[in-house]
Order: sequence, then C-alpha cells, then structure tokens
Amino acid sequence: MRPTTRWAILFMGPPILLFTAIVVVPTAMALRLSFTDANILGQTSQWVGFDNFVEAFTNEHVRKSIRITLVWTLFGALIPPALGLGIAMMLQANSRFAAIMKSALFVPISISLVVVGQVWIWIYQPGDGLINQMLGLVGLESLEDAWLANRSTALWAVFIAWAWQQSVLAMILYLAGLTSIPGELVEAARVDGAGQFQVFRRVIVPLLRPITTVVLSLIAINSLRNFDLVFAMTQGGPVRETETMPMLVWRILFRQHEQGLASAVSLILFAMTLVVIGGLTWWGRRGSYVD
Amino acid sequence: MSTSTASLTADRADSTAPEQGAGRRGRTLRRRAGMVLIAVFVALYLVPVAGVVATSLKTNAEIAERGIWALTGKLTLANYVDVWSTANTVRYLINSFQVAIPAVVVSIAGGTLIGYALAKFRPRGGTAIQLVIVSGLFVPPQVLLVPLFTMFRSFDLLNTLWPMILIHSAVGFSVCTLVMRNFFEQIPDSLRYAALIDGASEGDVFWRVMLPLARPALAALATLQFTFIWNDFLYPLVFTSARDDVATIMLGLLNVKGQFTVAYGTQASLAVIASIPTVVIFFVFQKHFVRGLLSGALKE
Repeated sequence: MRPTTRWAILFMGPPILLFTAIVVVPTAMALRLSFTDANILGQTSQWVGFDNFVEAFTNEHVRKSIRITLVWTLFGALIPPALGLGIAMMLQANSRFAAIMKSALFVPISISLVVVGQVWIWIYQPGDGLINQMLGLVGLESLEDAWLANRSTALWAVFIAWAWQQSVLAMILYLAGLTSIPGELVEAARVDGAGQFQVFRRVIVPLLRPITTVVLSLIAINSLRNFDLVFAMTQGGPVRETETMPMLVWRILFRQHEQGLASAVSLILFAMTLVVIGGLTWWGRRGSYVD
Repeated sequence: MSTSTASLTADRADSTAPEQGAGRRGRTLRRRAGMVLIAVFVALYLVPVAGVVATSLKTNAEIAERGIWALTGKLTLANYVDVWSTANTVRYLINSFQVAIPAVVVSIAGGTLIGYALAKFRPRGGTAIQLVIVSGLFVPPQVLLVPLFTMFRSFDLLNTLWPMILIHSAVGFSVCTLVMRNFFEQIPDSLRYAALIDGASEGDVFWRVMLPLARPALAALATLQFTFIWNDFLYPLVFTSARDDVATIMLGLLNVKGQFTVAYGTQASLAVIASIPTVVIFFVFQKHFVRGLLSGALKE
C-alpha cells in the first residue's frame, strides 16, 4: 500500500463512515422501501415491484404535486434571478450608500423561512392584512381577498414570499459576479459604439454565465426542496393547491402512513433534481469562455 | 481619472466649458434622484422585515384593536420580557446552539479532511468517492426521513438533540468537501513536498501549513453551515416533536404560533430573537458567505 493511501484512509475514513451511515445507507433503504407496501413504522412489508411508481404516476394528487413543483421550479428559475440581477446592477456602484443598501438587503436571506412565512401570512391575511389594507386605502375594497385561502391565488402568494427571499440570494451572487467583470471590457464595447442595452446583452450577460449557472442551480435545488415555507404558510392547502412534492411526501408519511409510496415519490423528486442539475451543468459548460 | 480628462478638454476648448458644467450638474442631480429611488425601493423591499420588528414592539392589545400594520401606538419591549421569561425561549436557544455548534464543527472538519485527501493524496477511486459525497447535495431530505427515523428509534435517540447533530454533520460533508477540495486543488503541490522534504509528516503538513492557508474558506463554510443549520426545522419537527424541552428555536417558533394564534406581538418578538444570531453572523461575515457559495459551485 502506498503511504499516501494510508494517509488518505486515515483522513477520510471516519467522515466517510458517518456519511455512509446517515446518507448512503438510508438512501439505499429508501430505494428498497419504495418497492414494498410498507405502512405503519416497524411492520413487515410485502414486495410489490413497481406498484408504488405506477401509483405515483397515475394518482392525481401525486401528478398535481409534480406539476406544482415543476411550475415552481420554472418560475423560480426566471423571476428571482432576473430580479436579483436587476437589483445587483442597481447597487453595483462602489459607494458607501450602495454598501449600506446592500447590507440592508442581506436580511431576508439570513432569516429562516419560518419567519418569512409568518410575516407574509400577515401580509396576505383577510381583515388587517397589509395588501387588503392597501387596497382599502385606495378604494379598491372589492378586490380584497383571503389570498392564502383562495384556491386560485394561494400558490402564487406563497411563491411571491419565496421569490422575495430568493431574489436576494441571486442578488448577492450577481453582485460578486459584476465586480469581477473588467471595466475595460465594458469601456471597449462602448467605444465600439454599443448602447446600454447592447453592452448588457452582449458583454455583461455572457460574462455572467458561470454565475448564472450557480444561481440557477442553487435556486433549482431550493425550488425542488421547497417544504419549509409551504409548511409554515399553508401546509399544502387550500384543498392541496400548494402541495409541493416534499409537502406531499410529508402528508403521505404522517397522515396516510404509507412509507412505500412516500419513498417512491421522494425518489422521483431525487431523480428530477439530478436531471435539472445535470442539464444546468451541461448548459453552463457549453457556454463557458474559460474552458 | 475621468474628471481630469474632462477638465483638460475644458481647458483646451473654452467654448465647450459651460456645457460641460451644466452636464456635470445634471449628472449629480440624476445621481441624487437615483439614490432616492434606490432608497425607496430598498425600504419597500424590507417592509416585511420592518413589519416583524414593529409588531414585536407593540402590545397584543394594541394590535388586536388597530390591526397588525397600523402605524400608530407606542412602542414597548414588553413582548420581549414576556417571551424571555415565560415561554421556553432560553431552552430553545440553548438547544439550537447545542445542535448548530457541534454540527458546524464536525461537518467542516470532516469535509476538510475528505477534501484534502481527495486533492492531495489522490487515492484510487477518489473520483467515485467525490461523486457519491457531492451527490448528497441533491438528495431531498424526505428520502432519508423514514430510514433515519427507524434507525434513531432503535438507538433510542428520538426526542434528543442527537439526530440533528448527526444528520447536519453528515449532510454538511457534501458542500464542505466540494468547497475544500476546490480550495486545496489550487494550492501547489510543491508546498507540500517542500515541507515533507524538511522532515514534516503528512499530518504536520496538513495541520501547520495547509489549514492556516484555508482560514478564509473555513470562515465561509462556517457562515454557510451555521445559517443553514440554525434555520432548519424539518429534522426537529420529525425527530423531536413529542417534547417541547428539546425543541430548537425554529420548532419553538412553530409551536408558539400554534399555541397563540392571535398573539402577534408574542410571535413577532420570538421571531426577532430567533433571527438575531444569523442576521449578526451575516453582517459580520457577508463577504465570506458569498465566497463560500461561489467557490463551492463554480469549479467542479
């Protein structure tokens, strides 16, 4: 055995054992569970083959939650990155004023989604909720609504609260990206006669592509994993209109006690995550100027 | 630089001077207006944050009477005193620190060891090991819940803080390994060989040469991990829901919300208390946080 191999084992061994016990083995166990009809914890279970996966793709609730999660991920990939980039461009000046504004905007991303959910409930609630108060102030009482209880607005209401926080994540990363763009490049493009918009489209956006890949990957993971905010705000309701896949897994586990089906749905979510991240990585590499 | 160029041009061609002055005044004015617009935008963006803070400073009676967003009423710290002395707040905070501190330390230590070994010892199968560990980033927590629940129950660890400490330590290896491997890849091997030739052991090289160099990366990870672990509530919800005295602050916040559905002032003051540690850490380490996110994801 090479001496470096021995050192490698000494260094990596203990953490890899812990990782195996907490992540690898449980994932394998979940895979096995997904092929059984296991229900109440601890009971023996029958092998049912692909039944849970067939059930998952035919059950209307599961299909609906897959649709909700995909729509969420799509809009999550559009709105927070665009808003984040906009705010970053607005604040990129290297002044004290900009620095103070940036620091203030860090607050939403450092607070927990439980807190985010709590305050946005107050914004949406009927009666003294902020939106309804504002509508009342300008004489639009007729538009007042119970935003989180209305089936057609609930999902977007929760999404906006989430986008509010995630835009700040995108902003932070884009600010770092913008400072790394050499000023001479922008100057050179200006000298060559490019207008504001052309500089943005032809110089800034392409140079930010590696950052955009990071932003999209992080936000995609957060979209697909979205449990905390939904749990804090609606628990999937009204009538399952905000039931994202993690929320649905929760419900199948703790209301219906069907661990086999819950494992199958959570593994479908895992597979979706891998596909999305794989796609983004490919997209990021394809357009990279560095490699 | 641009100012001196402008004044030079102005000196040379007198006829353009007044125009230039007007242009500069116009620009200053436009910048001022821009600053006002930005300040207004940021203020509006932070209305939800201001809402929590303001609500925490009003009495519950006041809120019940005038509504949560009313701009009137006198401010008081009564809710804080109340929450601090009656609810399990102090217990929740201690529990959260007891989870976050060991889990931050273990996840970063383990990730650093794995990352260093992968980057510098390049063991056979290293690529496969890295792939498995980094894939941990993409495993939804829901996949792990049932097997881990069974496991912790058989070790009699349910309703203790151990499940969260162990899970956050292990799950954290993924991001920490990614960041630290990228970091150590950039450090030239010659540095390690030089120390080895001087008679240092591999352990010495790691501890005395490499770790001090890694301080910025470690600070970045500490910020990232602390925020993530502190703000998590899924695992406490699953593994400690039966006992309020082992709840972390985020679970406590949910419990309080259930108990006093309309005591907004109470909820808000607890929410502010729960947010202070991460907000402070963010302000202190904001640059590290950005670097942590970028170094983890930019180079793979």
